[in-house]
Amino acid sequence: MSISGLVLHVRSDRTDAVRAEVAALPGVEVHAETGDGRLVVTVDEADNARASETLSRFSTIDGVLNTSLVYNYFEQDSDEEEEVNESL
Amino acid sequence: MKVSRRDFIKTNAAAAAAAAAGVSLPASSMAAAGDDGIRWDKGVCRFCGTGCGVLVGVKDDRVVATQGDPDAPVNKGLNCIKGYFLSKIMYGQDRLTRPLLRKKDGKFAKDGEFTPVSWDEAFDVMAAKWKEALQKKGPTSVGMFGSGQWTIWEGYAAAKFMKAGLRSNNIDPNARHCMASAVGAFMRAFGIDEPMGCYDDLEHADGFVLWGANMAEMHPILWSRLTNTRLTKPGCEVHVLSTFENRNFELADNGMVFEPQTDLAILNFIANYIIQNKAYNKDFVDKAVNFTKTATDIGYGLRPEHPLEKKAANAGKGKLTKITFDEYAQSVAKYTLEYTSKLSKVPEDKLLALAKLYADPNKKVASYWTMGFNQHTRGVWVNGLLYNVHLLMGKIAEPGNSPFSLTGQPSACGTAREVGTFAHRLPADLVVMNEKHRDFAEKTWKLPKGTIPPKPGFHAVLQNRMLKDGKLNAYWVQCNNNMQAAPNMNEEGYPGYRNPENFITVSDPYPTVTALAADLILPTAMWMEKEGAYGNAERRTQFWRQQVDAPGEAQSDIWQVMEFAKRFKVEEVWPAELVDQMPAYKGKTLFDVLFANGQVDKFGLDDLQKGFNNTESKHFGFYVQKGIFEEYRLFNSAAGIPKKGHEMARFEQYHQARGLRWPVIDDKETLWRFREGYDPHVKAGEGVKFYGKPDGRANIIFAPYEPAAESPDGDYNLWLCTGRVLEHWHSGSMTRRVPELYRAFPDAKVYMHPDDARDRGFKRGQVVKVMTRRGEVTTRVETRGRNKPPQGLVFMPWFDAGQLVNKLTLDATDPLSKETDFKKCACKVVAA
Repeated sequence: MSISGLVLHVRSDRTDAVRAEVAALPGVEVHAETGDGRLVVTVDEADNARASETLSRFSTIDGVLNTSLVYNYFEQDSDEEEEVNESL
Repeated sequence: MKVSRRDFIKTNAAAAAAAAAGVSLPASSMAAAGDDGIRWDKGVCRFCGTGCGVLVGVKDDRVVATQGDPDAPVNKGLNCIKGYFLSKIMYGQDRLTRPLLRKKDGKFAKDGEFTPVSWDEAFDVMAAKWKEALQKKGPTSVGMFGSGQWTIWEGYAAAKFMKAGLRSNNIDPNARHCMASAVGAFMRAFGIDEPMGCYDDLEHADGFVLWGANMAEMHPILWSRLTNTRLTKPGCEVHVLSTFENRNFELADNGMVFEPQTDLAILNFIANYIIQNKAYNKDFVDKAVNFTKTATDIGYGLRPEHPLEKKAANAGKGKLTKITFDEYAQSVAKYTLEYTSKLSKVPEDKLLALAKLYADPNKKVASYWTMGFNQHTRGVWVNGLLYNVHLLMGKIAEPGNSPFSLTGQPSACGTAREVGTFAHRLPADLVVMNEKHRDFAEKTWKLPKGTIPPKPGFHAVLQNRMLKDGKLNAYWVQCNNNMQAAPNMNEEGYPGYRNPENFITVSDPYPTVTALAADLILPTAMWMEKEGAYGNAERRTQFWRQQVDAPGEAQSDIWQVMEFAKRFKVEEVWPAELVDQMPAYKGKTLFDVLFANGQVDKFGLDDLQKGFNNTESKHFGFYVQKGIFEEYRLFNSAAGIPKKGHEMARFEQYHQARGLRWPVIDDKETLWRFREGYDPHVKAGEGVKFYGKPDGRANIIFAPYEPAAESPDGDYNLWLCTGRVLEHWHSGSMTRRVPELYRAFPDAKVYMHPDDARDRGFKRGQVVKVMTRRGEVTTRVETRGRNKPPQGLVFMPWFDAGQLVNKLTLDATDPLSKETDFKKCACKVVAA
């Protein structure tokens, strides 16, 4: 399990297009938008490799000026481990 | 259950990101608060010199989560994309957990196989080799190569062990490769190291100029602050100078690609423009500036027998001569718009727009630079030429007006520079060449007069040369990957490490290229596995506590140095006349004399924070980090110190604060130095005072354009520039171990202009050989993507241990700073 919270800084003339493009990526949700062109986004992926590819995709989208990571949680996706943690 | 737990974490992630963006999410989307079993505590990012605050989440003695620290003034809750890998760098598959010694038939052999050994056996063999070298050739035959990634106390302990314990100044940090030119220029212009401004200038400035700094990729958090200012402040402009087009150009109002080395001319042109238009700040110049010129034709820091050194009239000379304002004006007069544009290949209108920004008295300008300036055979000069421009205008040492040297490593300032790990330095800007400084250090350390040798030791590049020449024989590398990072490894680095006369020890968490070239590898505890402190580029000192234990038998660098010091009796390493001055030290070990000296061992284990381990303190029986830091404060904060201006707060305060910017006076940090009202060292009525210099005046230093050490010619017809990419930091020794990061940018490639590729018959992605007079490397051609070189220049990143670009580079250095120019040499690219 790999879950990240990010802020994307978007050029104002591209906000709508970028929001749509970002939201279409797998595991990505757009939670909020500030008045000055920043998107609040989470990336939820089964493994780190896929999450990382999604993160690096952001910077290739036309209109994304900056990608900042705010929160990251990761855990080996072993089901037993998950169960043990759940029972705590 | 599984789903709700996932949702809970996702809600936390969204809420944290929203808070950092300054918006709140609707309450309905917030999960009920719950205990996820994670302990959060403040830390500092492991990667670059920005010094972002990170909250570190630990569960079951493992770092499972990180979060940009919302209370950290540097990054205000944000991290860059590299922060994603922070929680993972400690958990690479090939983490080293036991000492490894090259052995054959059960004993050490230079050509043996790496074999696991105990710490005792490792240190026994290592100490025997060091003592043999000391006996045969004396203290100049032992040396250490350290790091701007060392914590403050690690660097301090290593420097003290080498300079005061073994009496060898042969210690230098890898910061020599990245910061030495900046240091040299600070000392020459201001007499005291490090920037006068701070990151707050990112919001105060009206204009920004990047000189050889790829902030978008290398300092993304600072870049996000700059971006914010550019997009929200009316009239704000961004100028970017580079030898190839990079990501910063996307935001640039004025992007300029210049011919390598001509930054020297461009800066003199700006000064000339300011003078010709009488735009300079006469009051400021009259009051706060001296005009000087520096010796010219100074060579390229190559081996003395190199033809370029023999040809140089003033090889290695840095003498300053006082001149008048008029003489200075005449010196820059030749750098006209026409001449400079022709030389630099930057169009006239662009140069003019740049000069006008600096010359406008109503625009506050912040200038940023990193390796483009510092890794330069005229690095000290070019740093100084930028200060000239800011000083002429008085645009310095106040909010928004800020010439600012950015740093690459997390503690290049706090450790490498401030505690004195350079071959010529002592703590707090003191130097070994100055008898008063040595006396003060010896007294503070309770050591006999004459302990510290007066001659500077071997600097980074010289260390490799001396290893190759068999003059440096026992050598210890900590916390860096210098075989990969240093220039010209084919001709200098590798032959030096494998010279049969030498015994090389490398301490690292991972089997790097450097570790694998060693004779003994020591496994190292890293980052959150120890209590640490870093100092970032804006003079901010930041602490963290040990969050988790290191794997296996790995131990921190400070543990290793202090434990190794126990292997030396004072009589074995000091001459009798020195020991006779302090008979009480007879029979003692260097550990006793340096670390159990009544100062470093002053604080007991009761002072440790409950709930956190501290491996070193429990091992040695006293609070190691606190003792070292408080002893270090005797150099920068006690009464009667030789150089004021570096004052620091008490140890405990840093565990509370999100860092403090020195000088810290009466518990208050200083944001802008040298300016009345901001810096308590400047008294009422003094206005501006550069108190690092005896007369309180900064030096404007004229230096001319001089060509690079090696330029493209008929045979080697392209410039080769090396550098980093966003995804990998340092040499890739940590970041390349994170599989997903590796996938994002797996292998190095050579970035080339499409026309240069077409002229050579290359297709994008084709395998090619990059060749210089020193070696060759096989790679692939890239004609698109983030870096767009002009015709005549190729760019290649150096993180890839499979494509060692430093087989190609020339070990030409700035003769003043001894820093290598990794940005300019001549190469050719041919089909593989």
